[in-house]
Amino acid sequence: MAGLFLEGEPNPALRGQECEGCGRVAFPPNPYGCEKCGAPAAMLVDRPLAGRGRIVAFVTTTHANRRDLSVPYTVASIALDDGPVIRAIMTDSTGESLAAGDAVETVLVERAADEGSTDRVLRFQKREAA
Amino acid sequence: MRRPLRDYRPVHVVGIGLHRFQPLSETTYVELGLTAIREAMADAGIAFSAIDSAYCGTALLGMAPSRAMLRHLGASGLPITQVENASASGSTAVRQAVLEVASGMADVSLAIGLDKPAPIRLAHEAAGVPDLVNAYASPFTHFALLADDYMRRYGVTAEQVARVAEKNFRNASKNPHAHRQKGYSLAEILSGPNISGPLTRLQCCPIGEGAAAVIVASDDAIARLGLSRARSVRVLSSTSRSERVYDPGADPDTELTRETLAMSCAEAGVSPGDLDVVEFHDGFSIEELLYVEALGVCPPGQAAGQLARGDFDIGGRVAINPSGGLLAMGHPIGPTGVGQICEIARQLRGEAGPRQHPGARLGLAHMVGIGSVCVVHILSAAD
Ligand SMILES: [Zn+2]
Repeated sequence: MAGLFLEGEPNPALRGQECEGCGRVAFPPNPYGCEKCGAPAAMLVDRPLAGRGRIVAFVTTTHANRRDLSVPYTVASIALDDGPVIRAIMTDSTGESLAAGDAVETVLVERAADEGSTDRVLRFQKREAA
Repeated sequence: MRRPLRDYRPVHVVGIGLHRFQPLSETTYVELGLTAIREAMADAGIAFSAIDSAYCGTALLGMAPSRAMLRHLGASGLPITQVENASASGSTAVRQAVLEVASGMADVSLAIGLDKPAPIRLAHEAAGVPDLVNAYASPFTHFALLADDYMRRYGVTAEQVARVAEKNFRNASKNPHAHRQKGYSLAEILSGPNISGPLTRLQCCPIGEGAAAVIVASDDAIARLGLSRARSVRVLSSTSRSERVYDPGADPDTELTRETLAMSCAEAGVSPGDLDVVEFHDGFSIEELLYVEALGVCPPGQAAGQLARGDFDIGGRVAINPSGGLLAMGHPIGPTGVGQICEIARQLRGEAGPRQHPGARLGLAHMVGIGSVCVVHILSAAD
């Protein structure tokens, strides 16, 4: 997940790409070529996307079909302020505090990884009113 | 120049056969497949030696399953090909058989759908393009998000979405080949267990084992082999597409389905409103509502209401998933798309017994495969 975001304040940006051939802005980034026009990877330039958007839809999953996923977890469709609509995991695993239309932002969360170490993963959380 | 199927010589479904879709058992895949193929040969009145080629749609069995099965029908030396196209593997096997007969390279071709449950390894997970959700966005979470979005957009309730499953269980209660033959009530469907968002377990298709077989033939073969013309069903179109880039926020499966359905109707020369029976990829209840609207037989946001008043029942305006669909007939992967063709052919022959849609003349079968791909066939009854 490290290659998907850029650390920064007040919250991490997403590592998007913009195509110099057709102008498409996309996330996640890929090392191969543009899905819309077929331009090669050399024409895909980094385009940071602000880690902010609004919830379009969200669901809480209570059934895991693989052992490496712990339930419940909540996934949202998020319309980024910078255009693309993405899917992300919310910090609120039960989704009880969330509503469609909520303003949300990225946050890095420490997570237990292999052999007692931890890594940091990107989640979205509800943005507190300023 | 690119030409649609109807510009080639006519292709007809002349034989159908099924092994029941069911939970994993000790039955070998060979036994499953032979049951379906022998039934299809008996249905057509055709010997294995008269079949020119075979396509086997399977996603989970592993390398080279077909000859180990087909040799027990008398090893004729026919060309055999495995077809893997995710959930659309069986539909794609049908398409390959249809194209081979249409082109004239075969007179009679066999499409088989065959699978037994096994661990699924998705190649795209190794594509080197991770995202923020990866395995968290399993199919049921993906479709639950679409359900949540649809319900908000149109003010539809979870109970209205669940009525898709209620209808399809009712249809499958009259289908001896269905995985789930118990006609679950709406209360049972809604009572859980919950899987993701509004989707309960009975709104997610069961993945079991089974087999389906379809034999397609040319006019020449029908005449030469003395097959029944009255029971033959014409294949009007065979259409296959893969996902493009759609507007931000649009569901790719629905948009891919919309354009593939439109293309298939245009190639067949039929209007969506003329269809009598439709088998949709209802892997999850919400899909049927999305795809009914994508077909254009119902305005956006109104599928739930029209379903509730019986428009999509057997005997309604257009019978949707008379077999029970993936939710109730089941989704053993390879067999599913071939089984849809069996159901449409049975309906168009007027041989569907207690689940016959009266006066069925025109039918459509639709599958989506993860990735995404979409395959649509349109069939018509004999004149
Ligand atoms: Zn481009």
